[in-house]
Amino acid sequence: MNVDKVGIVGYYHIKPSMDLDMGRYESIFRAVRGALDSAKLERKDLTSVVSATNDFYDGRTISNCFTVEPSGSYLKDETKVEMDGAYAMLYGMMRVLSGNHKLVAVWGASMASCFPYESVSLMATDPTFERPVEALNVMTAGAFQMRAYMNKFGVGPEDIASVAVKNRKNAAMNEMALPESQEKDASVKGVLESEVLSSPVTEKMYARPCDGAACVLLAPEQQAMRITDTPVWITGVGYSQETYYLGDRDLSKSKSMENAARMAFKAAGVNDPRKDISVAELYEHFAHEELIQAEAIGFSKAGQAAKLSSGIGGEIPINPSGGAMSGNVLCAAGLMRVIEAVKQIKGEAKGHQVQGAERAIASGQWGFCAQNSILYVLEGGRK
Amino acid sequence: MAQKWIEKTEGIVRADFAYWVGKYMDKFYDGLEKQKIVGNKCPSCNKVYVPPRKVCGDCAATIPLDGEWLDLGTKGTLLNFTATRYSVSERRKKKSEKTTIIGLIQVDGSDTAVIYPILDAQEQDMKIGMKLDVVWNKKQQGTPNDIKGFKVAGGA
Repeated sequence: MNVDKVGIVGYYHIKPSMDLDMGRYESIFRAVRGALDSAKLERKDLTSVVSATNDFYDGRTISNCFTVEPSGSYLKDETKVEMDGAYAMLYGMMRVLSGNHKLVAVWGASMASCFPYESVSLMATDPTFERPVEALNVMTAGAFQMRAYMNKFGVGPEDIASVAVKNRKNAAMNEMALPESQEKDASVKGVLESEVLSSPVTEKMYARPCDGAACVLLAPEQQAMRITDTPVWITGVGYSQETYYLGDRDLSKSKSMENAARMAFKAAGVNDPRKDISVAELYEHFAHEELIQAEAIGFSKAGQAAKLSSGIGGEIPINPSGGAMSGNVLCAAGLMRVIEAVKQIKGEAKGHQVQGAERAIASGQWGFCAQNSILYVLEGGRK
Repeated sequence: MAQKWIEKTEGIVRADFAYWVGKYMDKFYDGLEKQKIVGNKCPSCNKVYVPPRKVCGDCAATIPLDGEWLDLGTKGTLLNFTATRYSVSERRKKKSEKTTIIGLIQVDGSDTAVIYPILDAQEQDMKIGMKLDVVWNKKQQGTPNDIKGFKVAGGA
């Protein structure tokens, strides 16, 4: 089977929670079942399942070995990515493009309520040089990144706080957002005066990890058109990885996202992202990462992204769902950006719908100061 | 519904990993043991790495083990910093009354930066670009913790 195009034919994510009232397997089951239901398909229709989980976050090795039944992969082709589901989707896409698979479920999930995420992230540092010093974890890294960005371009903390305000207000219009993130009265003052986690990062600039699960279904072109009248096509994808050591990098920008965007836009024929993209869902673990990504993507010049009109009715809406602030489900939050982009294209975003959304982008990032980036260009239509 | 049963699994397994750091880092730690910070230079682009590397990411050149090693001295420049009351390695609830300052420090003569605590300093006194001195631990053991941290140059 010669496959040129991959379509997203179903999606679902459970409502994120700081302490989910269901177990890990049930949350995964609901996400995958929800995606199958959205496409009116059954488990038997799946030919492959690609998961995104992290052994450290799950506290067990080969953590997907326990998720066979709830994810619908029992006695099926099953494989795993140890990163965000947005990366698993690239893997799933490749399986479809191989011509061997007619329906691939891609899911991501984690339960941050089970473990101390920030300190577990110390285990991701260089074990023989940085880990023994106990100075670097995801939080101190994020703080370095924010200061590097502000210092390089003369951006103020209130500019960073404004991103958090926008995303928390947007989350208030997203019925599937983490309840704690829904702040219709969010203010710059409130963000700046929230607790300092690691200066200059405050609590409300941080997309605090939470519990949840998400799933999308991928199918080859012909199959996708049989499954749904409104498939969403992956018309471009780019992926890139920077070096590990923060001291080797310019933290004020994202070279990996610059590369990912260039690759994705070339494939999709996007020449001027600001004109050619209707809406962007960008994974921001910290508020400042939305700005760094927006610049890497080409929405603005370096250091200027805070000046973008990025509200739901703005020139280039960014994270109308509330972004990762609306539920930073580790291993799923990037995949949820894809889901949100799909919702926008299909006109299913309800309270946070961007009018006339045709072509959307969705990003995932992973690693300290977003060492890795992935970006998708998604479009609707039966063509 | 009955109360949620929470099973804590702390301390069931203790698995210590004994990593060999490799020939390049062996040299680096040999240096620390003598209170020296050494880096190695990429023969292609002249970039000086601390800690030393075998491959230069920028130009993909192999840096030979018997290539150019530099004794960089013990001074550095503050590139970035953060102050936190949370322990980097402990649970969130383990918040301390004491603020720790952590810096990204470029050892003079190198083109990279290392991450260490800034000792005996106040956050409001931190300025990017300020000069720092290495503070050695009392006993040198050839480990990353031979460097206790850095302090503001000229300070007490």
